[in-house]
Parts: sequence; C-alpha cells; structure tokens
Amino acid sequence: MVTASISLRGAGRAFGATRALADVDLDLKPGVTGLLGPNGAGKTTLLRLLATALPPTQGQVSVLEMDPQVPAERTSIRRQLGYQPQEIGFPRGFTAFAFVDYIALLKEWTQPAARHAEVRRVLDLVGLSDLGAKRVRAMSGGQRRRIALAQALLGSPPVLILDEPTTGVDPEQRVTLRTVLAEIARTSIVVLSTHQTEDVAALCERVIVLDRGRVRYDGPVTDLTGQAAGRVWLADEPDPNASVSWRTGTGRYRNVGTRVRDDAEQVEPSLEDAYLLLRAGSAENEPAAEVAS
Amino acid sequence: MTGWHLDGAMLRRYVEQTDSLAEGASAEQHLLACAPCRARVNAAVDVIDLAAVWHRTRDAVEVPPPSVFERLLRVAGLPGHEARLVAVASAFRGVWLTGVAAVLAFAALAAAVGHARGLWLFLAVAPVVPCLVVASSYDPRLDPALEPELVTPYPALRLILLRTIAVLALALPTVLLLGLFIPTEEPFAWLLPAVGFVAVVLAASTWVSPLRAAIAVSLAWLGVVGLLEARAGSPVAVLQARAQAGFLAVAVASFLIFLLRRRRLRQLRPWR
Repeated sequence: MVTASISLRGAGRAFGATRALADVDLDLKPGVTGLLGPNGAGKTTLLRLLATALPPTQGQVSVLEMDPQVPAERTSIRRQLGYQPQEIGFPRGFTAFAFVDYIALLKEWTQPAARHAEVRRVLDLVGLSDLGAKRVRAMSGGQRRRIALAQALLGSPPVLILDEPTTGVDPEQRVTLRTVLAEIARTSIVVLSTHQTEDVAALCERVIVLDRGRVRYDGPVTDLTGQAAGRVWLADEPDPNASVSWRTGTGRYRNVGTRVRDDAEQVEPSLEDAYLLLRAGSAENEPAAEVAS
Repeated sequence: MTGWHLDGAMLRRYVEQTDSLAEGASAEQHLLACAPCRARVNAAVDVIDLAAVWHRTRDAVEVPPPSVFERLLRVAGLPGHEARLVAVASAFRGVWLTGVAAVLAFAALAAAVGHARGLWLFLAVAPVVPCLVVASSYDPRLDPALEPELVTPYPALRLILLRTIAVLALALPTVLLLGLFIPTEEPFAWLLPAVGFVAVVLAASTWVSPLRAAIAVSLAWLGVVGLLEARAGSPVAVLQARAQAGFLAVAVASFLIFLLRRRRLRQLRPWR
C-alpha cells in the first residue's frame, strides 16, 4: 500500500508586498500534525496552500504525489481532500443536512441513497445526527463548527485539513472530536491549526510552530514539551526576569523560563509552557518581519 | 377489525418498499392489529430491511424538498443533482428573486397602463434583470460557502455556466410574457440587449467581480436610455434594427472573450 504524503519545498506565499509564509520545508505522513502559532503567524495561509485553495508564490507543494499547479492533478487532489476553513458561511435557509448534502453533491456524490447515508454518517461522527433538520442559522457557534467539520469528513478523505476545528466547541464534544480525528489519522494525513495547546498535547504526535511566516519548531510534541523541563516554577511572586509569568487559580504565580526564589517550586512543564518559552525566544532573537495572516 | 386486509399488490409494494408514505403508514397501522396479514408479510419476505425503512423515514424528515425552480430544472432535463446545485444559489432563492420579479412587474404594469414614463421604465429595467441575476448567482461575495466549494472537484466553470443558462431559461420567458402587455411595436426588441448584457457580464467578470460588472452595465444602459428619452423624446431608438445588430456583435464578442479568458474568472483566479 502506498502511504499518503504531502511535501513542501521552499514553499511560500506573498500577498502583494506582504509575505505571509516563507521557505517552508515539510513532509507530512498519516497521523495528526498540529499547527501552533500566534495570530498572523501564517497558519491559515499554510493550510490554504495544502487544501489547494491558494497556490504558492514560491517553492513547490506536492499533495499525494500530485502537483496542485496542474489543473487535472488539482482536481484529483480535491477528490481526496477534506477541508474545514477557518471561517465558513452558510447559505440562508439551509439545514445542517442540506448544507452537508450540498457539499457532498459538489464532491461528486451523485447517487442520492449513498449520499444521504454518507451525510448522516458524518453528522453522526460530529454528534449532530439528531439536528440534521434544524436550520443552521438557529444553531450555536459550536454546532456550526461541527457542521463545517462534518462536510470535511465526507468520503473519509486521505488528507484532512482543519483550520481551528475545536474553536467554540464544548469540552465534551472536543473529547469526542479528538477520538474521531485520532481514528481517522490511522490512515489519513490530518493537519489542524489551533490555539488550544491542550488539543495538540492530547491529539497530535507532531507539532509545527509557526511565527511570522516561518517554521520555528517542527517535531514531536513530547520533545517540544521537554524543552521546558526544569524551567517552570510556581512561586508566591511573579518573576520580572521570567520569560512569561501569570497568576494561577491557586493564587500562586507560574513562572516560565527562570528560577527566581529559593522557595519556588519546580513543576512539570506543559506544552503551553514550552510553546510560550519558544515564542519568547523567537521574540527576543528575531526581528519582526513584514508578515500578515 | 374491519374485515379489510392488505391485498396482494399492496402487500407486494409494502414488502418491496415501493409504496407511498401514506400507504406505507396505513399498512403499518393495519399490520399492528392483524396477525394473518403479518403472517403473509413474513411469508413474503425473509428479512425486512429495517435500516432501509429507517433511512426512508429519515429522508422524509431531513432531505429538503426541491424548490419550484429546482423542479422546473428537472423537468427541463437537468439531472437531479445538478438541478439542486444550480437552484441553491442565493440568486434563485427567496427575497432576492421576489424583489427582482416585483420590480419587473411594476415596470411592466406602468408601461401597460400607459404611464408617461412607463415604457421608459420597462426598457430601462427589462434588459438588465437577467445580467443582474446571473451576476448574483455566482458572485463570490454573495456565496458564504465559497471556500469549501472552491476545493471540491466539481468544475466551477460548469457551475457558473449552468447557473447562467438557468437564469436565462427562467428570466427570459417571464419578461417575454410581460412584454406582451407593453404597448409598443417591438415588444421583444430588448431580448438581444438582455442576452448581450449577460455575455458582457461573463466576460467582464474575468477582470472584476460579477456583481460589479453587472451594476456597471446596468448603470450604463440606464444612462443610454435616459439620454435618448431626454433628446429624442423616446427611448425606443435604442431598439431599432441597427442597434440590434450592434447588440448581437457585442454578445458574440463578449462570449468569445469569456471563452478565451474563462480560467481567469474570479472563483478560479487564485490558480490562473
């Protein structure tokens, strides 16, 4: 069996004079890869390149061994791709079922019985099987995100690109979605961007941290977390020399990056600690570039 | 018990699940109370596919019924799935279409009752209605689900052309019908300008957004008709034979430009 893959070589994207993404080299295989980064880091641009919604202005992108610049190959890629954009609108008057059914039609599910069964399957996967007949505009933000995810899951595609799939979704549903995505990732490439480091820690084997359009870290989640080992402390006071410091729910301060007092208590780092440490390092070492979203 | 039982044909339809929703419900109701008929059903089928029955029931609840426009497209010969893809465009739904129809009807009414500006109003409105509806049927700003649509394998160009043809098929007969009530010697002379404007919008939308192109064409047309009304006292000169030849040339030239530049349509623009 040929393993699905995506590769980027020196890939970048500029919008006019603004460079949103630059010199990205990546190889992606089946599994869940998380994208982390601040707003404007280039996460959405990278996902749009992978989803064939946008061509690169620099370098090469290859999806499933095909070149999205070639129209016939681009269509072939799209047959094997599920994409949940960051922002998605729903035509007025559509129900959840009608919307997913509409996208299924565009994905060439022409046989009604098979299409309807597939629409029900994906709505069931995202926990909306009982709300198929409900109008989308009457649904909550979290439910709409799940509809957007459902349309991406149509046909169990080998490549799944998800832009902030868990934003606005309640904790129970997030756990359910993690389980669903983990199962899909056994055979599919799943790339998701998120601001929720706990989602990345719970779901992803690999994490890519983007900052100002460039890859700052690419590797196992555990390795990134390990970079903060011995550098996270709980203390009664904030440390002015710490890279990041904040007051926790217990009233103590979590200081990341340095030890301030003898009575400070060293604690296990989380992925969030490591991410913030990495970000702090980037901010100190790198000048700001002319990068947008 | 009434003494009534499922007859052979009804039983066969029930077993084969080809009965109507009402007949199926009636049969279910009877079977609940009638052991002999249940035995006949058992004898007629090894296993009733309960999943299929359940799917049919859910279809009745969840699958949206086709709109009148979608049914018309199916009658016109478009396959069911493509009829739905065309009909879901916002241009063919609800308030927008009602508004366009109302404007057109008022213009026709004004012309028909001999209002001083009635004919001018009809001539100003009728030819631009099709191009405005075409533009709104595929303008990205009126399509909230554009991003997921964009990355599906269905060809965007085919969808645009299907929607354009659907608009013409819907709008032209309607306006033609209204034209019958217009007191002029050339009640259908605006037809060629209408087709020409649609072609101009298709061609122009390889440079600018379709809606912007349609609005520009509409304003230009309004200006020409208004100028003729002011100078010659009647706008019908724009519909004379020489002008008609001009509209035909514009239509052909615009469509050729559209074909040559089709990959530069706004929806496809990222990949040009």
